[in-house]
This record gives sequence, C-alpha cells and structure tokens, in this order.
Amino acid sequence: MKKLRLDAIAFIVILGGLGLANLLNFNKPTVSALENRMLKARPSLTWESLFSGDYFRDYEDYYSDTFLNRDSIVKICRDIKDSLSLNEPGVTLVVTREQNAPVNQVPEATPTQPPQPSTPRPSTSPGDLPETQEPPETGMTPEPTPTPTAEPPREFGDDETVAYYLIVDGKAVQLFKFSREGMDYYAEVLNKYHEVLGDKVTLYSVIPPTNSEFVKLRKYADITDSQNDAMDYLRSRLDPGIVTVNVYDALNRHKDEYIYFKTDHHWTALGAYYGYCAFMDATGMEPVPLDRYETAKVEGYLGSSYTKTLNKELEKNPDTIYLYLPFTNHEYIMYSGNKAKTADLIDMSYAEGSSDKYLIFMSTGGATWSVIKTDVHNGKKILVMKDSFGNAWVPFLLPHYEEIYVVDARFYSKSSTGLNIPQFIEKYGIQELVFLFYMEDVNWTKFMNGVENHLN
Amino acid sequence: MVFSSLVFLCIFLPVSLFLYFVIKDRTWRNWVLIISSLVFYAWGEPVWITAMIFSGVFDYFNGLMVEKYRGTRKAKAFVALSAVGNLLLLGIFKYSGFFVENINTLFGLSLNVPRISLPIGISFYTFQTISYVVDVYRGEVKAQRSLLKFMLFMSLFHQLVAGPIVRYSDIAAEIEHRRVTAAGFSEGVSRFITGLGKKVLIANTAGELALNFLGNDYERLPVTGAWLGILLYAFQIYFDFSGYSDMAIGLGRMYGFTYKENFDYPYISKSITEFWRRWHISLGTFFRDYLYIPLGGNRRHLVRNLLAVWFLTGLWHGASWNFIIWGLYYFVFVLIEKLFLKKLLDRLPSVFSRLYTLLVVLIGWVFFYHTDMSQGLRFLGVMFGKAYAFTNSEVSILFRSNVIFIVIAAIASTPLAVRLFTAIKNYFQDNRARVAFIDNVFKPVINILILVLSLAFLVGQSYNPFLYFRF
Repeated sequence: MKKLRLDAIAFIVILGGLGLANLLNFNKPTVSALENRMLKARPSLTWESLFSGDYFRDYEDYYSDTFLNRDSIVKICRDIKDSLSLNEPGVTLVVTREQNAPVNQVPEATPTQPPQPSTPRPSTSPGDLPETQEPPETGMTPEPTPTPTAEPPREFGDDETVAYYLIVDGKAVQLFKFSREGMDYYAEVLNKYHEVLGDKVTLYSVIPPTNSEFVKLRKYADITDSQNDAMDYLRSRLDPGIVTVNVYDALNRHKDEYIYFKTDHHWTALGAYYGYCAFMDATGMEPVPLDRYETAKVEGYLGSSYTKTLNKELEKNPDTIYLYLPFTNHEYIMYSGNKAKTADLIDMSYAEGSSDKYLIFMSTGGATWSVIKTDVHNGKKILVMKDSFGNAWVPFLLPHYEEIYVVDARFYSKSSTGLNIPQFIEKYGIQELVFLFYMEDVNWTKFMNGVENHLN
Repeated sequence: MVFSSLVFLCIFLPVSLFLYFVIKDRTWRNWVLIISSLVFYAWGEPVWITAMIFSGVFDYFNGLMVEKYRGTRKAKAFVALSAVGNLLLLGIFKYSGFFVENINTLFGLSLNVPRISLPIGISFYTFQTISYVVDVYRGEVKAQRSLLKFMLFMSLFHQLVAGPIVRYSDIAAEIEHRRVTAAGFSEGVSRFITGLGKKVLIANTAGELALNFLGNDYERLPVTGAWLGILLYAFQIYFDFSGYSDMAIGLGRMYGFTYKENFDYPYISKSITEFWRRWHISLGTFFRDYLYIPLGGNRRHLVRNLLAVWFLTGLWHGASWNFIIWGLYYFVFVLIEKLFLKKLLDRLPSVFSRLYTLLVVLIGWVFFYHTDMSQGLRFLGVMFGKAYAFTNSEVSILFRSNVIFIVIAAIASTPLAVRLFTAIKNYFQDNRARVAFIDNVFKPVINILILVLSLAFLVGQSYNPFLYFRF
C-alpha cells in the first residue's frame, strides 16, 4: 500500500483520528446549552433494546450528540448555510420541525424538579412538555414515565409540528397559521367548561397574541395570518357567558414598546402588564400603575427563538429581561406531585447560568399546581389555567386577590390531587377562572385536548 | 447502519479497514469482510438478519443443485424453487400488508392486515441471489462451492442495503482473488467521498428544504412553491440514491471489488427511454435480462412485456398503488417513444427533448412522493395553476436563501464538472507536472474539503433519514 494519494491518506487519518479522539474523550457532555436540551445518554445494552434495534439507533444519536466540539461544528454549519443566502441582510426564514410528545403527561416522577415549561412550540414544542424538561441547575431529569390515563386520548393531527420563524431586523417572529379546526376546538372546550361550571364561576378567555402581529415585517406582511381576525372569529364561537378579554387592543396601543422579546417567543413583563390592564378593564377593577413597582433587570438573554433558529442576528442582539417586583405580601407555594415547597414569584436563581432565563417568572411556573396567598383580605379567589405566557402575567394579580390558584394545563394531573378542575374549583371555593393560553396554543388542538381532559 | 452516519465513518469503517489490511491471509480476510457485513446489517436489522442468512443459504444450495442437474428438468425446478422462495420471502415481508388491504377493499372484507416491518435491503439481496441462480442455470457462471464465499457475495455490506444490485458474475473472479492497489484504494476513497458529499451536502439539504413544500394539505401552497418543492425532491432523491451507489462503488474499490455503475447523469437525458438507461441502471438491466428478454423482448408481445416490466418496476419501489401508477406512467411514455415519439425527439433541438424529459420526470416524482393519491393529484393541480396564489413571500424568501444551493445541485446533476477537469487536463496535456498536480494535489484537496464539510454537516444535522430504505 505505497503511494496512497493525498485524499486517501487524509481519509484514513481524519476518520481514524476522529474515531480515536471520540473514543478517548471520557468527559462526554450531557447537556447542550446551545440547544437548551439534554443530550442523548449512552444507551444501556439489554436483550430487548438489542433485538428491537433501539440500542443501535440510540447509540447513533448518542454518538453524534456527544461528538467532539459539536456546538462549534453546529455553528460553523450555520455560518456556511448563511453565507449562501442571497436575501437582503437581516431577513431569514427558518423552519423548525419537532416530534410532538403527548400532552398531559405529568412530571410526577420528578417531584422536586420543576419542568421547564417555557420553550416555545413550533405551534408547541415538546420542549414545553415534561418529556424533555430540563431543570436548569441540577442537570437533567430522567424522563418521567407517562401517567396512565383511563381513556385513550383523542388523536389530533400529525406527530410533527412545524414552525416558521421570520427573523427580521434582529427580531424573531413566529408566523401564525390560522387553523379553523384549532379555533373551533378552543371554543368548544371553553364552552364545555362554562356548561359544567355554570354561572357560579366567571370564565375569562385571555389570549396573548404572538409578536408576528406587532413587528414590522416590511414587505413580507402577507406571510403571517392575522391573529386579530382569529380573535374575532373566536369571539363569535364562544358562549356569550364567557368574558373575552381584549388583550389584542391593549398590546396594539403599545406596539412600539418593548412588549415582546426579540430572541424569545414570550411577551416581556411589560407586555404581560398591558395584558393585565386589559383583564382589569374586563373585570371593572382599577389596574395598579406600573411605577408602583420596584424593578430589576437581567441582561444577555438569548431565548427560545434563538435556540430554535441559532440565528446570528439574534445572537448579536440579546434581550434584557425587566422585572416588576411584587409589593403585596404573599406566599407562593408550588405543589409538585404531592410535595409542597415555597418559591419566589420572581426567582432570580434562574437569572444566572441557566440558559432559559424566562424561568425566572414564577420560578418556572411548572408545578402540578400552585397557590399564591396574599394579605389582601377581600375573600376573592381566582384560578388561572395557563401556559408559560401566564408566568409573566400572574404576578400582577397579587394586589387584587386573596388567593390565586395557578394550574399549568400541561402539568396538572388529577392523579396527584384527586380532583378534576371543576372539583378543584369547588374544593377551594374559587369564583373566577381565567384561561390564559397564547395564540399558538389556542391554535393547537393537541394542547387544547389536554385542557379538555382536565374536565374529567 | 448507513454510510452517512458518524458511527459508520468513525468507528465501523476504520476498524473494518484496519483488520482487513492487517490480515494477509485470504480466507481470514474473507472472514473479516463477512463479519463486518453481518455486524453492519445487524446494526439496523438485528432480528431479520435471519431472513438474509436464510436467503443466502437457500440459494447457495439452489446454485449447487442447478449445476449438479445441469441439462435436466431438475435444474429448471431448482431455478423455479429459488425464484419462488425469494419472491415469497419478498412477498411476505414487503407485500402481504398491501395485498390483504386490497383484498379487503375489493371484497369488502376486514381481514387482519399483517404489519410486518420491512427488513432492510431485502429488495436488493433477493434480486441478487435470484440472478445468481439464473446465471448458473444459463451457464454464465459456475456455482460457488464454498458457502463462505457465497455468503461473502451475498452479504457484502457495500451494496447489501441499498444496491446497486450486484450480480454474482460481475464479481465472481474478485471473490476468488482480488488485489488492492494503492491507486485502486485511492480511487475508491475519492469515489466514496463524492458519494458522501452528494448524500450529506446536497441530498439532505434538498430534503430538508423540500419538506417546506411537500406533504401538507397544499391549501396554502402557491404554484411556484409546488415547482420548487418537486425540483428539490428530484435533487434529493437523485443525490441520495446515486450518492449511496457512489459510496458503495467506492467501498468496493477500497476492498478490491469492482461494481458496475448505477447512475449516469439521468437528468440530462433527451428521452424517457434514455432516462431509464441512466437511472438505477442495475435495476433496469435486471428486469431487462431476467424478465423482458425472456418474455420475448421487442420481438414478441412488446406491449405485454413492457407492461410487465414497468408494473413490476413500480411495485418493486414500494407496496403501494402510487408506485405502481408511477411505474405505469413510465410504461406509457416508453411505449409511445418506442412507437413514434423517439424519432421525433431525435430530430428536435436537444433543449426541447431535455425539457420534455425533465418535465415528465418531475411529474413522475409527484406520483412517487405521494402515497396518498388524492393528495398527489392536489399537488399536480397546484403545479398547473389550481392554487390559492401564484407565489408568496415564504417561497421567495426561501428561494433567495437557497438559490446558490439550487444552482450547485443543478450543476452537480450534470457531467459539467467532470468535463471541466478533463478539459483542463487536456489543455495541459504536454505539461506532465501540471497534469500530475491536478490529479495528485488539486483533486485530492477538493475531496478532503468535501469530506471535512460532510463530516461537519453530519454532526450539524440530526435530520438524516435515508430514503431508499423503504424499498
């Protein structure tokens, strides 16, 4: 084997060298900060996994997940792809695809570790769901075993969700694709709640739109469907007994302010405040002026949209999280499974190190259920059923209620409380029920199916 | 395992090559290859490796019997046994579900539809062993007496899972005795890298982009999106499959085997007949030699023979009606070309005959892609104007982001780059140092770049399905 050509020598050296280097790399990473997820662990060899072929598939995932310098290689690939683009600077369309995990699988296997509820979905990502949850500091949780459900779940759509992100002028915008099926189902579910709960409980539908409605898309305005039209459509479908809170107009009046993150799909605390004002309007209460709050800020936040798209414009242009610190005396208790712990509504332990700083709000907001008890002794009790958009919104309610119950539609589980939502409301004497889901969740039947299941 | 996986590239291949070249003894080398191949196969198909081994032992035996009873009716019986056995294996694993579904629909029954997962490569290896037994019968090759060597032919990991369909006669001599030279090994590496680049850099990228346009309900797909989508799919499927064939051929060279070409720039064809001489050549020649010609070829029952070939070509690609329709679609074009169109095409300027061929092929991919026929027809509708809009912002942004990629893929679909190299070398033909530089430095450096880029992209893309595994 003399006179091998240059490429043949390089081939042997590179492949063999990479093989050896990976073999000798004993310090394999388990977490990717870049992707905000847990890396695949080395699979364990069992007869079962061997014969089903799972072992080999898992091993391949593990091998590429823990490949030497993976993060920098990923970024280099991104740069190569970017350099081939002929779009005007600052405009990119990124399409992300994810396998859906089933909704309503409760993180009870991990009672002390909160799920990480605030990654965005591409209409909802499994990142939202307990399967891929990631407690920010303690490393990664093992995957919880799904809670067995009595009834077979209703099937909806594909197992893959696709999301379109337009990045324009350093802001990531998730494009909204109106789904009539989704909208009708949202209304159907809320109407069912109204039917079951009757007039004793006032129901509110609070729907934060996403920023696709408010960012200037230049000549690409036709690329996203109108969420305002979707809200109008919903209003016509909801039972008149359900109060529709007009979050849209409240935000639209302030659309030039910092109401949405640029690198994350959530609204900022300021956006949530305007959403709260709209709610106050609907209830006839007086909103607390913003300057009543002391503030704090956290800089250098690269959120979910960045993680999804790895876009360079976003990377150069991180967000600042402004926080409004509650002045009402209160106690915030999170129940995970059957364990209770008190937590901070604005939990600064998530400000440092953690890749998802939105978890600051309500200390992840990912309990099975939680309650905030205040010293406002007016006897008013409210339940907020929410997704991660609720985490920035709920703290503004403190001056108005004696007890605020919070349920995340994805994580609530009857098997740990023994109560479905109507029973829960009955037990705690709750008078008001708010549904606060952002538009993409409203539009997503699988998510709303989870909400419907909490009736049973 | 697939070639375009990091485990294959960084663990399997280096280890297998190392053992192969460290061991000098011929028999032991064969053992290294067989064990490599079985590990390679078991990695993806730990259970149904049994079917593969069964098919191998079965046809080893049939080959011996055919030879033993040469000239008698018994020989014919063993050929029949081989064909029936292999087709039965293929039928059970690949077509039983489809068959029962159709029976159910036809007679309004509700028989239990068997759900058997398709063993990897079964469509390829059954054809390979059938061709072996037939060739022994025809006296074109001698039966292999060593089971070890027969299993070597049968299980060679280079072509086991995705072709090309290698005939025993092509490599019979190399199974007995093969020499690997430095030049041959280098050529093999170069060919492998070409294939890897085609698969990882072009096919995977095109596939990811095509997903933006294909596979949804098409209510919001504009005309331009449909054309862009099917063009990207055409790139994906060509670079995927031909890249895989290149890698197989390259691996063969590294280990001392010479496999025949499987693709020859099909997208530059000037007729559908020509397209099929350039696309998946080993399948086309298989059907030609073992079905079309034995049925009578051009001389007797032309229409029936063509129909049989194209029906089966379609069915071979998958147990679903859309593949059959895709096959029959080509039957129609091949037939009218044979009747009169070919003569006309030959007289037209080549730009027209190329456009005609591309158009027919692109529309063919619509059938090929859509297992749901009504969805496929909707897509065709969109292509020809039944769409909500002619174009939209999404398509124009995605097009502009990827137009350079599309141009690269288009150029790579033609022999332009190869011709350019040849032209440069011809230009310098009197200057041996320059020619040597091009051959020994310039081309290898480009190969190394492609290799490094492909590895980076493999790490970078978790999206890496291999299309031809379905068949």
